[in-house]
Amino acid sequence: MLGVAMRLLRRRALAEEAVHDTFVQVWQNAASFDPARGEGLTWLYAILRNRALNILRGETRTDLVNDFEPMGLEASGEDAEALVVRLSDASALRRCLERLEPVRRKAILLAYVEGLSHGELAGRLGVPLGTMKSWIRRSLAALRECMR
Amino acid sequence: MTPEHERLAAEYVVGLLDDDEQRNAERLAGSDPSFQEAIAQWQARLAELDATATPVAPGDQLWSRIESDLDGIPAPLRDEHPVSFAIPSPRASFAVLWRSLPFWRIVGMAGAFASLLLAVGVGLLATREAREPVLIAVLLTEQNRPAAVVNAFANGSAELIPLDAIPVPPGRALEIWTLWDRARGPVSIGLIDRARTVPLNVSNLPRTGPNQLFEITLEPATGSPTGRPTGPVLMKGTTSTAL
Repeated sequence: MLGVAMRLLRRRALAEEAVHDTFVQVWQNAASFDPARGEGLTWLYAILRNRALNILRGETRTDLVNDFEPMGLEASGEDAEALVVRLSDASALRRCLERLEPVRRKAILLAYVEGLSHGELAGRLGVPLGTMKSWIRRSLAALRECMR
Repeated sequence: MTPEHERLAAEYVVGLLDDDEQRNAERLAGSDPSFQEAIAQWQARLAELDATATPVAPGDQLWSRIESDLDGIPAPLRDEHPVSFAIPSPRASFAVLWRSLPFWRIVGMAGAFASLLLAVGVGLLATREAREPVLIAVLLTEQNRPAAVVNAFANGSAELIPLDAIPVPPGRALEIWTLWDRARGPVSIGLIDRARTVPLNVSNLPRTGPNQLFEITLEPATGSPTGRPTGPVLMKGTTSTAL
C-alpha cells in the first residue's frame, strides 16, 4: 500500500499520511463495504488511491513540484514501459495496453500510477491539452473494449 | 449507461477528473447502481497496476499512529440491524445470522483485513529481501585498511557505508566512482562532503556485477571538473558476491 501511495505522492510523509487515512476510513466506513462487489483488496486500494489523489490535487501540489523536480521527475516517466513488463504475461490488461500506441499507453500509465492530470500529461508528452483529452478518452474506450 | 458516463467512470478511477467532474462522479456513484458497477469494473481492470508498485515497508511509527487513532473510533457496525437474541432454536438464529447484513459485512471486512495483512507481510518480506546485499565491495586504503563498504542490492540500488572517518580538507569533497566498463572509464556515482552512509547513483548504469571496481577520490567541493578522477585515490575495492 505504501508503495502505491509513494508512486503517487513521491514523499514518504505524505504517502504514510494516505495509508493512515485509509485505515481510519476503512474502519469508519466498514458499512459501505459490499462483499458482493469486487474483492476486498481492490476496494482497499481504491480508497487508498482516492485519498492519495485528494492529497495530490490538494494543498501540496505546488510543493511537490518544487521539491522533486531536481530528483528526476522527468526520469521517472521512463518507467512506464518497465511497468507494463512487470504485469504478468497472461494478463489481459498487459495485452490490451500493448495494443495501444506507445505514447498513449504511457499517458494512461502516468495518469494512473503517478496521478498526473490531463494538463500535466499534455505538458510532459508535448501535445495540446485537447489532443491529450481525446487520446485518453479513446484509449480508455479501447481498453474497455479489448478487456471485455 | 451513456458514453459520457462511461468516460466519467473510467477517468474517475484513473484519477483524471477535475473538481467539478469529480463531484459529479461521486454524486452518480451514490445514486446510480450502473455507474457504481462501471466504477467497480474499472477498478478491477486496472488493479493489477497497483501490484507493480515496489513494496515499501511502513515504519513502526505509522503502525502505532494508526493503532492509537483507531482506538479512539468506536466500531461502527454495532447497532444497525441488531441481531435478535430472543430466538430459541439454533437453526433459526443461524438463519437470522445468514440473512444479517452486518454479519456479512464483518465477514467481508475480516477477509479484506486478512488480505491486507498478507499484502503488508509480503511487502515486508520483499523489502527485507531487497535489503540483503547481493554484492559487497570492501574499499581499502593504501595501507590496506578497510575504510568503507559498498553494498549492491537485488533491486539494482547500491549504498556506501564508511567504516572510518575520512579527513576532508575544507573546499574539497569525496567523490565516489565505479568502473564497470574499461572503455568508458570511471563514472561518478556520488559526491559527499564528509564520510557518511549514502545511496549511490547507479540507476543509470548497467547492473552492478562481480569484480566491479569502486573507488573514492579527493576532489574539489563541486566534484571533479573533468568528469574523471583528478585527485588522489583514498580507497578502492572490487565487488564480490555475497553468500
